[in-house]
Amino acid sequence: MSVADTLQTKIQKEVVALSDSISDLVKSFRKLRSPLAESQEKVPQATNQLDKVTEQTEAAAHKMLDVVEEITEREGDIIKSLEEIRKSVEDGQTDGITDRIDSIIEKANANLNDAFTIMDALQFQDITAQQMDHAAHLLEDVEGKLTGILSVLGVRNEEGPEKPVEKRKRERAFDPHADFVDKKTDQRDIDSLFDETGKS
Amino acid sequence: MADLKILAVDDSPTMRRIIINTLKRAGYNDVTEAENGKDALAKLKVHKFNFIITDWNMPEMDGLTFITTLRSTEEFKSVPVLMVTTRSVKDDIVEAMKAGVNNYIVKPFTPDTLKQKIEQVLGG
Repeated sequence: MSVADTLQTKIQKEVVALSDSISDLVKSFRKLRSPLAESQEKVPQATNQLDKVTEQTEAAAHKMLDVVEEITEREGDIIKSLEEIRKSVEDGQTDGITDRIDSIIEKANANLNDAFTIMDALQFQDITAQQMDHAAHLLEDVEGKLTGILSVLGVRNEEGPEKPVEKRKRERAFDPHADFVDKKTDQRDIDSLFDETGKS
Repeated sequence: MADLKILAVDDSPTMRRIIINTLKRAGYNDVTEAENGKDALAKLKVHKFNFIITDWNMPEMDGLTFITTLRSTEEFKSVPVLMVTTRSVKDDIVEAMKAGVNNYIVKPFTPDTLKQKIEQVLGG
């Protein structure tokens, strides 16, 4: 074989090897496309859930503050009335005391009802906890895919091996549609479903 | 009312407290808590309950699996079950009905709705 032929053969082998490397690289990048696309969808979903948590927590807090303000105003009135009653009793003036006591009882009952209203509003905590669990789940998924992408690219963690995402995840149980305000089915429609089957 | 022994199943401690307080306001004082379906089944083996209120999304054993297990057990087949959950998609509600719930409330609930549904289930 001439020098030219040997050279040509070598070049051909190198070109084939280069072509194989490019083909492998293309396959690796194709593997990245799907997890990247999925991650791109999930991050905005996670952000939306977190935004919902902020909005709904704020709305619940305002509702409770409104009620607390009414309670404190009534408590102020109750204290004032009791002081007046004490003075009247000390002065021996008991006319109209029963009416004033009835008014206090009414205000105290209104406060009791409002305390229960606050308790009922605290249901937001369960709902926002589920929204946050959903966001965390989406981000854990993205983290897992990014770790996979880094592994395909051959990038190693310089700080040393980390616990794999799967082992760090805690069990999450949530409704991805949990919402304090929007319900997909109204209670009346739920009642109709049960009425139709004769279950209620 | 005085005879009703209720088992309240929810993974959220806050929600369990709210449900228990709401039940007490309605006159139901005998309420036991469980934090998921598995815990509920364990308590059912030891104590007698004649009404169950359960959430759906719970770790270890969710509400749907809990109800399905309940309905496949001769001893608990007929215990009334009220589902109280955030799940409001119609398909989910139908799935719960097929699993054997007697009625269904979507959170957040009002005390009146909870009381009404309990009375409806007991009356029906």
